Amino acid sequence: MSVVLGYVATLGVYFCIYNIFAFGLNIQFGYAGILDFTVITFMAIGGYIAGVAVLPPEQRGTEIFYVLGWNLPWPIALLLGMVAAGLLGFLIGLVALRRLRSDYLAIVTLASGTIVYDVINNYNKLFDGAAGLVGVPQPYTSVFGVNPNTYTWYFLAVSAVIMLVCWYVANRIYSSPLGRTMRAIREDMDVAEAFGKDAFRVRMLAMVIGCMFVGLGGVLTIAYVSALSPAGWTTGETFVIWAALIVGGKANNWGAVVGSFLVAVLFNEATRFLPAIPGSPNLVSDIRNMCIGGMVIVTLWFRPQGVVPERKARFPQLPVRGATTPVSVAVGATGGAGSAG
Amino acid sequence: MNLFFLALGFGVVTASVLALASVGLSLQFGVTNFVNFAYGAYLAFGMFFTYTLDVTAHVPFWLAAVVATLLTGLVSVVVDRLVIEPFVRRRTSPFFLLIVTFGLQLVLLNVIQAVWGVGFESFTTGTGTPLHLGPFSITGDQLGIVVLAVVAMVLVHLLLTRTTLGKSMRAMSDDSSLAKVSGIDTGRVTMWTWFVSGCLAGLGGITLALNTVSFQAYTGNTFLFVIFAAVILGGIGQIYGAMLGALCIGLAVELSGLWIPGAYKLDVAFGVLVLALLLRPQGLIATVGKA
Repeated sequence: MSVVLGYVATLGVYFCIYNIFAFGLNIQFGYAGILDFTVITFMAIGGYIAGVAVLPPEQRGTEIFYVLGWNLPWPIALLLGMVAAGLLGFLIGLVALRRLRSDYLAIVTLASGTIVYDVINNYNKLFDGAAGLVGVPQPYTSVFGVNPNTYTWYFLAVSAVIMLVCWYVANRIYSSPLGRTMRAIREDMDVAEAFGKDAFRVRMLAMVIGCMFVGLGGVLTIAYVSALSPAGWTTGETFVIWAALIVGGKANNWGAVVGSFLVAVLFNEATRFLPAIPGSPNLVSDIRNMCIGGMVIVTLWFRPQGVVPERKARFPQLPVRGATTPVSVAVGATGGAGSAG
Repeated sequence: MNLFFLALGFGVVTASVLALASVGLSLQFGVTNFVNFAYGAYLAFGMFFTYTLDVTAHVPFWLAAVVATLLTGLVSVVVDRLVIEPFVRRRTSPFFLLIVTFGLQLVLLNVIQAVWGVGFESFTTGTGTPLHLGPFSITGDQLGIVVLAVVAMVLVHLLLTRTTLGKSMRAMSDDSSLAKVSGIDTGRVTMWTWFVSGCLAGLGGITLALNTVSFQAYTGNTFLFVIFAAVILGGIGQIYGAMLGALCIGLAVELSGLWIPGAYKLDVAFGVLVLALLLRPQGLIATVGKA
């Protein structure tokens, strides 16, 4: 019984982490219309930096290499991980967010992700190359007790609190003037700039804040799993987060939550229990990835606004001369983010 | 000095592979006006169709390559008709089309993995003994790649300048609605564009596989950003620009191998991409209003 409960708690932790990822991507894509095709890279950077900040200095002669090794406590490592992810987002944004076509932006993010992956995978002095970091001490095991099943519940509680803080921040950003500017830029960058908004600055903010969210999720991941290697963050993983947001409903954090639950937890986890087909051990995971890609395409076709659509902006009804019914002026309406980017 | 010429020779070979792939991407980009992020999977289709015909069905390699090229073109058309074209007809913005093609990438690559497995494969042609041509030293396969690329580029040039189809493609690339009101059957031209683009992707994939000797489903996809770099450096939608971009990137990548470890030489293409975007985002051969 306790095994099942432990598993449920593990799913709960993943649910919280994926929620944070989806909030981060939502700020970038849903709010500001930035096509970030390498979300998982920021998760990895956050995770790695937090990991090496917590780990003791590398031992000579063990053939395990990593940078830093500062023995720091987890809360500081968490901040470091977030800052590192935000910094990488800033650097990528410097190139990607210049006034270019949205396809350029997507290409730059995708290419940067490939490069970061390539360097981390090949250059083993950074985070031990393809082997990745292992044995990162889990946070406060001595305080919570080392029984893995009860520990998971404590971890779930902590990540739920962090997730709720993220939820609060993400929603505050949405309704803040900054969030409104982001959405205006998403709908029409020229109009927003004509009203004196600095599109580059606002989009950069969205990029960096989003990356910090994703990095935070990465820190939680490595804290929970206590290991991270390049095999764990491929393009397919980026797409799980995208699928969660698109299926759930972009620009609505409830959508992000619903999508994370449906795609990242229910679909992605449930299919892990399917028996492997003899002779082709990868077939189940291949089909799972096909389904995730297909889900996005199907959602964009049948319900582009997602399961939980973005709330239409409500404004006081203005009486229009000559019209019999009052017309509401909706700016942040759902739908085409075409001209943004 | 010897090493320099060796790298220069490899540079020309890489540039040839890159030219095939990037001209295909650029052509489709120009006509349809959105990037196809699933393009790396088309390269893989070219590789694996050839692999099946060559290794499993024992068809002569050149015939296998020709058939695989045409099949990849067909895949490209079918995917366009089934998935992309409905979205285009619904006037989905290019912004969402990018997400659709990004999703397609995941679907197609996993179809390839499901059918052909995840392991590394290679063709039956073998590596061959290097030929010494003056200061250069390349294998027969690599020489074949260069010749093939040159022939393909000449054919693309003739297609674009001498045939009605090619002229229609250029017209659509310049202004799609103007082309339509001038009586060009844009649907037909779009379909042929996807076919030619798919064929070039297939050829690019086959030559890439020949050049790297062993390949798997993701080989083409990891090469994708190098193709993007060549396309952007040349100027988006510019066919001749893509050729020029491919040459620059191919040489830059291989010559950099003289100074940096081989594992990172493709990353040089990323450096060129960043520089191009910062200094000349419209590309070497610029078009008005396309950047």
